[in-house]
Amino acid sequence: MGAEATQISAFAAAAAHALCFAGLAAAHSFAGRGALISDPALALRLLVVCEAPLVIVVFSLLRRDPERCSLIKAAARGLLGLPIGAFLNAFGAIVLGAPVGIKYWTATTYWSLLMSLFTFVPAACVFGASKVDWQNVLSYSAVFLFSHASYCTSSNVVDCMISVPSHGAVIGAWLGAWPMPLDWERPWQEWPICVTYGAVAGHLIGMLVSLILIVAHKRRVRVKAD
Amino acid sequence: MAAPASRRRREPSSRSWPLLFVAILAVHSVAIYLFTRGFLLTRTELDVHSHRDDRTGVSPGCSSWPRPAVDRLVIVVLDALRFDFVAPSTFFPEKQPWMDKLQVLQKLAAEEKNSARIFKALADPPTTSLQRLKALTTGGLPTFIDVGNSFGAPAIVEDNIMHQLVKNGKRVVMMGDDTWTQLYPEHFNKSFPYPSFNVKDLDTVDNGVIEHLLPSLRENDWDVLIAHFLGVDHAGHIFGVDSTPMIQKLEQYNKILEDVIDTLKSLSTPGGPHENTLLLVMGDHGQTLNGDHGGGTSEEVETSLFAWSSKTPPDAVLSVLGANSCNFDLYGAEVCISTMQQLDFAATVSALLGVPFPFGSIGRVNPELYALSAGTWDDQKMGVDACTPQNDLEAWKRRYAEALCVNSWQVKRYIDQYSGSSIIGFSAEYLHHVAELYSKAQANWSVALRSTCPSETAEEEFKASSSSPLQLQIDAYSDFLESFAKLARSAWTEFDLWSMGIGLLLMILSVITQACVLVKLNTICQPSDQESTSSRAIPKLSFAFMLVAIRAASILSNSYILAEGRVANFLLATSCIAGVWHSATKGNFSIEEFVFLLLNIFARFGIEFGMSKQIAGPTVTKDHPVSIILDMFGSSFCNGLMDIFPIISLALVAYIVLKFITYAIYQRFLKYFIMSGTILSYIFIANHWASESTLFFHSKAIRDIGISLAPRFVYAIGGFSLAISALCRLFGAIDTLRLNERITSLSAAMLCSWSPTILILLGRQGSFVALICITGAWCIIMLQQKYQKDLKLDIIGVANPVSVTQWSLFAVCLFYLTGHWCTFDGLRYGAAFVGFDHFHIIRQGLLLSIDTFGVSHILPVLSLPFIAVHCYNKASKKSKVKDVTTNILIQVHLMYGLITAIATTLTIICVTIQRRHLMVWGLFAPKYVFDAIGLLLTDFLICLASLFYS
Repeated sequence: MGAEATQISAFAAAAAHALCFAGLAAAHSFAGRGALISDPALALRLLVVCEAPLVIVVFSLLRRDPERCSLIKAAARGLLGLPIGAFLNAFGAIVLGAPVGIKYWTATTYWSLLMSLFTFVPAACVFGASKVDWQNVLSYSAVFLFSHASYCTSSNVVDCMISVPSHGAVIGAWLGAWPMPLDWERPWQEWPICVTYGAVAGHLIGMLVSLILIVAHKRRVRVKAD
Repeated sequence: MAAPASRRRREPSSRSWPLLFVAILAVHSVAIYLFTRGFLLTRTELDVHSHRDDRTGVSPGCSSWPRPAVDRLVIVVLDALRFDFVAPSTFFPEKQPWMDKLQVLQKLAAEEKNSARIFKALADPPTTSLQRLKALTTGGLPTFIDVGNSFGAPAIVEDNIMHQLVKNGKRVVMMGDDTWTQLYPEHFNKSFPYPSFNVKDLDTVDNGVIEHLLPSLRENDWDVLIAHFLGVDHAGHIFGVDSTPMIQKLEQYNKILEDVIDTLKSLSTPGGPHENTLLLVMGDHGQTLNGDHGGGTSEEVETSLFAWSSKTPPDAVLSVLGANSCNFDLYGAEVCISTMQQLDFAATVSALLGVPFPFGSIGRVNPELYALSAGTWDDQKMGVDACTPQNDLEAWKRRYAEALCVNSWQVKRYIDQYSGSSIIGFSAEYLHHVAELYSKAQANWSVALRSTCPSETAEEEFKASSSSPLQLQIDAYSDFLESFAKLARSAWTEFDLWSMGIGLLLMILSVITQACVLVKLNTICQPSDQESTSSRAIPKLSFAFMLVAIRAASILSNSYILAEGRVANFLLATSCIAGVWHSATKGNFSIEEFVFLLLNIFARFGIEFGMSKQIAGPTVTKDHPVSIILDMFGSSFCNGLMDIFPIISLALVAYIVLKFITYAIYQRFLKYFIMSGTILSYIFIANHWASESTLFFHSKAIRDIGISLAPRFVYAIGGFSLAISALCRLFGAIDTLRLNERITSLSAAMLCSWSPTILILLGRQGSFVALICITGAWCIIMLQQKYQKDLKLDIIGVANPVSVTQWSLFAVCLFYLTGHWCTFDGLRYGAAFVGFDHFHIIRQGLLLSIDTFGVSHILPVLSLPFIAVHCYNKASKKSKVKDVTTNILIQVHLMYGLITAIATTLTIICVTIQRRHLMVWGLFAPKYVFDAIGLLLTDFLICLASLFYS
């Protein structure tokens, strides 16, 4: 049904990712080097502020069913998804052992908002409340890891664009938590600095991988068509 | 191992599987025995003491302990003093910034060659402060485990210098590191201890010592003064050797030592208080450039000792001291350096002070240090049998030979006593060799004595040759003492790498075999047509394997060992989140998953709270959530709550357990028996807790009953119901039941007989822990059923590896949750005395081990059958039900054992790699001991379970 409408080119996907990346880069340049270590709350806030409008706008443009759902509505879904996703991420982090305490509250909040931008908001913008699509995106990890079914087919380029970077962000954050107990006594071992580094790195790698997958698939399709 | 395993592969009958587990237990025991023998060097402490009136050998001249040679002794211990801090930089290929900072010592050694000397002192590993202090005072070679009679307290029970000093009326003053007062709680006349645990604090201890040191030097109320500075050690740990704080510390010490020496010099006039005082400035061990110590590298064992005598001995001393390692210092003056073993310290100091040598001392009186004291040159006549010595040197040699004679006699006495009373003695062949050396030396003694009264003609001859009979005698004794020290070193300080390697190899082989058997079992029970389901099980298997592998790999780092509880919790939470993820893709999210997530949060706070107790000190708990809550409500309110709340939650636990019994135990007699036993036990536990608190006003008699008798009733009921359920199993009243029901009944009975005992030992936290346990177990089982249903795996007999892994991770979490951690001071000694006031090694040891391993090993292993049986409820109508149930049961146990074995193997590998690490005795070795005992216990329980349920 909406498959044709969301079929976008590899170039568009690259542009979308480039925009999101530009948001992160801008925040980084505003904050300056080492800001995340010296004042994590401030740096995270900058990241969220720079990244949020970009992500919401970009993925609202890529929304499913553009006829029935206006851009404004998609953006509103994204805005609504931001706190919900933040709550889920924060809950997950606390289950995994993130410190709770008054001095960590602000940093945790901003961190979870950022994670929400990486994981929850794009999906919320694109899919809204469509259960099937959500399950589809979530099950990407299983598909990706354990079977050789074709992914990133032309019908779900957007799925791929959402799913791979968000999985990357989650796995990166999970890996980023590992240096925390080490006794190196470096400032970046504090919560949530290294977890943020991990998440951002994972997200960027995810973007790259999704682009490669999309391009590879397009090329295969073209070869087949020829 | 191979025989039962191969039999298993041929026919998976239910009869041979206990054999498999027995084989695993046997192999693990052998492996751990071998590794432990090589790694954990043990020594038996003898609590025999030397006495002033010991008949020290029959030979003339050495029938009593040596006479005192110094009046007073000042020992300044600079912790972690590297050799190159003291020796002039010209002795080293390159001058480093931290060298030549203790100029005052170098100057003194250059200017007063007769009375001052720098020694290179060689310590023995383990080079940790506690072990070194023990070595310095006992003259022995302390190992990691000194088998003795003390239970938790670090106080030294072996004979030592401090003990001898006190016994012989010497007064000792101590200032500095509080380790001394822990080791010798009642030996000091005066002591000024300062806490040593805060490594980041460079100055508190030092400033405390400085405050007391100089005033004490001017006083006359002591004979031995010990001042222990910690700054250099701490600076090394924090900043490393090549750092400004280190250099500042050394410069500060230089200043202090200058003051000390000036004070001593000013009071050393004849008749003054320090007329015949010996000053020793020494390190207890060295350190690497990073500030680490504990191992046996040359940087760590090379420390230095500086000796200065306020009374100058005659010039003849120089011929004793020798000039073998001399060099010019920065100012062109010649400085000579001698080498001594730290082992010899106790014997030498005892000989100088004229106190009996500590019974366990195996050192030799060091000639150079002995000669430095002018007192040993005093020309004292020794009665009729002595002739007038011809010169100072001969007289000194005679005196030294006598000291060595006593020394050898005392070491021989120790050898005889030790090999008579210790289980792990020395090799007989070597002992024989040493004994021969001794008797040879003794035989010469009378000859040597006679020759000290030489005729006029022989005199010239002695002077010409260095090998006078006296010198020969000294050499003979030294030979004996040195060869015994060598023997003792090989037994007490060197790892037996062969034995360790074989143990490790066996362990790895057994893990591989276990894994192979498991895979074999898996394939046997899978019907061949189910290719698709087996491929669906692969993600689960690899996920479980990943969790186990990460946990095992994390053990390789000391930080993760410290944070092991958190790591286990992190992985458990990861598995749980992965489960949620999985159900989200299926769209059937269930309540158990949410409960499990919440449980993880609870477990996490519990573990953090437990760990905050581990790190002593007030600063840690300040911003902890629990203490914040305490602050909010006020402590008295909280205390009241703390008294009542466990009892309320205990009632809840009791209700759940009773409910569980009615559901799980099918056999009627057993059911009612266990039920009444459980009710009684819980009433007793409640009574016990109520009498401990001040909230309930009982009369004293009732409270006493509650405190001391109630726990004993609980233990008795536990033991009794264990016996009854074993009897039920033996005399097959249960055989009529179906296999599923039988296994459930038996394991429920087991659990219910163990749990009240463990609960009461855990104390107040017990009821919360029990609630967490029950909830966790319920969640894991329910979730497993759910996944099984999802995957439609319930017709094949394959256990779910993720559930077993979760079970094992949960067990690790529970260990830390209950406030344990893997060191010996992490044992909850209080638990050993629940219900008993007096100490009895077996009884209290048993209670302590039940408390330590109860909730993390005993209960999880005993409740393993529930995983197996529950995943199987649905398919009970199939024809092959019996075989399949048994099979799953074996698989679950095997898997659990394998997970534990993998973690332990990694611990062993880690310990092998890190055997020279700074923390090896503080962290890795205790972790190894806990893991090894845990593994053997797990294997043993699995064996029992296999016998019990088969």
